[in-house]
Amino acid sequence: MKISIGCDHIVTDEKNNLVAYLEGKGHEVIDNGTYDKERTHYPIYGKKTAEKVTSGEADLGIVVCGTGVGISVSSNKVNGIRSALVGDVETARYAKEVLNANVIGMGGRIVGEGLRENIIDVFLESEYQQSEENDKMIERIDALVANEEAKNDDHYFDEFLEKWDNGGYPDK
Amino acid sequence: MKIAIGSDSKGFELKQQIKELLDRLGHEVLDQTPEANLDFFDATTKVVSVIQKEQADRGIIIDEYGAGPFMVANKHQGIICANVFDEHSAKMTIGHNNTSVIAIGAGIVGPKLAEKIVEAYLDAAYDGGRHQIRVDMLNKMC
Repeated sequence: MKISIGCDHIVTDEKNNLVAYLEGKGHEVIDNGTYDKERTHYPIYGKKTAEKVTSGEADLGIVVCGTGVGISVSSNKVNGIRSALVGDVETARYAKEVLNANVIGMGGRIVGEGLRENIIDVFLESEYQQSEENDKMIERIDALVANEEAKNDDHYFDEFLEKWDNGGYPDK
Repeated sequence: MKIAIGSDSKGFELKQQIKELLDRLGHEVLDQTPEANLDFFDATTKVVSVIQKEQADRGIIIDEYGAGPFMVANKHQGIICANVFDEHSAKMTIGHNNTSVIAIGAGIVGPKLAEKIVEAYLDAAYDGGRHQIRVDMLNKMC
C-alpha cells in the first residue's frame, strides 16, 4: 500500500520508527515531515499528509503528534478526509470497517510503540464493511464541507507564520 | 462552567452518569439529547451547535467509540474536538489545543475512567502563547 505519514517536532523519532516499520512490511511511504526536532506547527503536517490521500497519491494516512489530537484534527479538516484519533486497536478496526476512515491519528506520547504498530496493522488490514447504513453515514460526514480553497495551497498558513516570525505570538 | 452534553443510544447510560457527576461538581448541564434514540451524527451536531453559538463553555459527546463524533465535530467551523481515552490527553488537549469539545467512547472507556477524564478536562485551562498559532491554523481550515 501507499501510506502518507506526518508528525510534529515532538514525535519525529516515533514517526521515523513507523516509516521504517511500514517499509519493512513492504509498503511505500510518503514522509511529509517534519524531519527534525526544530519547533514547528502540527496543522502544516496534518494538512499535507491528508492531502496526499485525497489527491490519490496515497491510499491511507497516518498522523502523530504528542497527544495525536492537534494533527488528527487538522487532517480531518481537509475535505474528503475521515480521520480517527485512537488509543486502542478496536477503535482503529471500527473506524475503518464502519466509517471507512482514511487517516489514523495517534499520540506518540500516549500510545507505546508496540500498540502503535498493532493499531497500524489492523487499520491497514481491516476492510470497509459496505452497507446501506454505513454508506449513508459516510455520505452525511462527507457533506460537512470544510474549506475547499485550502487544498494543496502550500502558502495557506503564511499569514500566521509571518506573524510568528515577527514575534506576534508570545512565549515563542 | 456551562457544559453542553449529548449522546447517541449507545452512550446514553454513560451520559446520564456524567450528568450526575457534573451536577455534583457544581456545573450547569445543558443536555442536548434527553432522548435516547439518536445516532452519533445528530447528537454531535446538537452539541457542536451550542458551542458555536457560545451558549456553553465546553461540550461532551458520548457514543460507543468516540471516533464518529470526532469526525463530525471537527468538520465544523471553529470546533476543535478530541477523542479522549486517558486523563493525560484530557488535560493536555485543553492546554495546547484549546479544545472546546471532547468525545468519549462508552464502549472503550469504562465509567470510572470517563469520570476522571471529564474532571481532568474541566480542571485544565488553555495555555495560549505559542499554541495559539496552531489553533489559528485549525480555525482557518474550518
